[in-house]
Amino acid sequence: MIELRLPQRNRATPIVPERSVAGRTLLLLIAIMTFLSAVTLGGVVLVQKSAVAWSADVGRELTIQVRPMEGQVMESNLRTAVALAQATPGVANARAIPVEESQALIEPWLGAGLDLSALAIPRLVIVELDDPAEVDIAQLTRDLQSVQGASLDTHAAWRQQLNVMAGTIVVSGLLVLALIVVATVLAIIFATRGTMASNREIVDVLHFIGASNSFIAGEFQGRFLSIGFRGGVVGGVAAALFFFVVALTAGSVVPDEASAQLGVLFGRFSLGVDGLLGIAAVVPVIAAITAITSRMTVRRFLSQTS
Amino acid sequence: MIEFEDVGLRYGHGPEILRDLTFTVEPGSFHFLTGPSGSGKTSLLKLLLLSLKPTRGTVRLFGQDVSGLDQDALLRMRRHIGIVFQEFRLLDHLTTYENVALPLRVLGQPESAYRANVTELLEWVGLGERMDAHPALLSGGEKQRAAIARAVIGRPDILLADEPTGNVDPDLSLRLVTLFAELNKMGTTIILATHELPLLDNFSFPRMLLRDGEIVIHD
Repeated sequence: MIELRLPQRNRATPIVPERSVAGRTLLLLIAIMTFLSAVTLGGVVLVQKSAVAWSADVGRELTIQVRPMEGQVMESNLRTAVALAQATPGVANARAIPVEESQALIEPWLGAGLDLSALAIPRLVIVELDDPAEVDIAQLTRDLQSVQGASLDTHAAWRQQLNVMAGTIVVSGLLVLALIVVATVLAIIFATRGTMASNREIVDVLHFIGASNSFIAGEFQGRFLSIGFRGGVVGGVAAALFFFVVALTAGSVVPDEASAQLGVLFGRFSLGVDGLLGIAAVVPVIAAITAITSRMTVRRFLSQTS
Repeated sequence: MIEFEDVGLRYGHGPEILRDLTFTVEPGSFHFLTGPSGSGKTSLLKLLLLSLKPTRGTVRLFGQDVSGLDQDALLRMRRHIGIVFQEFRLLDHLTTYENVALPLRVLGQPESAYRANVTELLEWVGLGERMDAHPALLSGGEKQRAAIARAVIGRPDILLADEPTGNVDPDLSLRLVTLFAELNKMGTTIILATHELPLLDNFSFPRMLLRDGEIVIHD
């Protein structure tokens, strides 16, 4: 009896050779698209987080402005305003800003070294809220009518403006993201068509030996999924590095004082865990888009040619 | 096994390439399909391979009229038909072993299930020592034997060959047709298209002579 010596075979060679798929160009293109998607998404997250944080901070504070009036004693009016504020439910604390601090607030506009004591400048009472929902703003406004020259600023207009601005940026960012996805899909369709045309011989041979369209599509999809995933990882890592470098640069280039103010206004240019998770989620999404688009394009090509 | 009845074929709005073809091929038989270049041999093989549909007439394979079959049914039927081309059509990036195993691989069979069969077949066609070589390193004869092995590894009921000896020398041509004859002895129905008439004289199999798209002799 003849005993066949069976060689140990290595892993099967892919039926669609890697080189024949427009590999490097497509990988680079997907990496760029992923980078743009991730940066756009990260920017949207940054703006959204800053807007929410700023809005929450501003919402926890009210300002009572007391204008100087003839025949009125400012310090007395300030004390009354503070007392009325403190008596309002939901208010944690109220304090009048000392005259020196008030003068310091307008110093940037008038310049340093001037004697401002002769100027009758309005004074402010900062009201910190314990629970914004509990505070009866209308009641406090009515109570303050007893203090001549006093008015209440809830910063509602600022918050609304901020929310509109942040919303516009978020919607614009999402629109850009959608356009990037559409551009990616179109690029993959063209690349897939080119690949199918250059691999026509392989497709024909597979048809002749009885391969189903589904099998052939699967072979090509496997190649594109691999390229999509690798391109996605490259683009995603580049985007994460970009945000890391921006956060570092913003911290070192801008002076500490200005940096603190920028931080209050625009956040810390730090994505945080949720932002990084968002970027990480872009990678499989781009890989899936690549695989699904190429599969649909291949199926269409096969149904037209078989 | 194969029945043609008044079959005609034209490409687009062009003239009829094949006309009034009526013949029957019995299971286990061997037929030479011959005729000058351009007589329609390759078109007839494409009809038999189900990669073309006739523009008129009836083609029955395995007792079924193929005109009404959907894509899935055509695919299932095609798996019972093997094909060998003049230009081999091996995939250059796969080894000889992988090329021959391809029909089983596309059926989803694990390599462990077909490794012994593929190795045995490669030994049988004389390529036991060349199974890890890529087609670029094979001679014309070796490529054609690999192509034949690929065509028969799925144990097809019908084996079609389109000018399989077109790219090899006369000695090797004779050996290749002998290989087909061996396969026929094992029960495979074979239709071998060739325009090399002297080669046919070495065998007693019936011939179909095509001329201008018509069968003029079928002995």
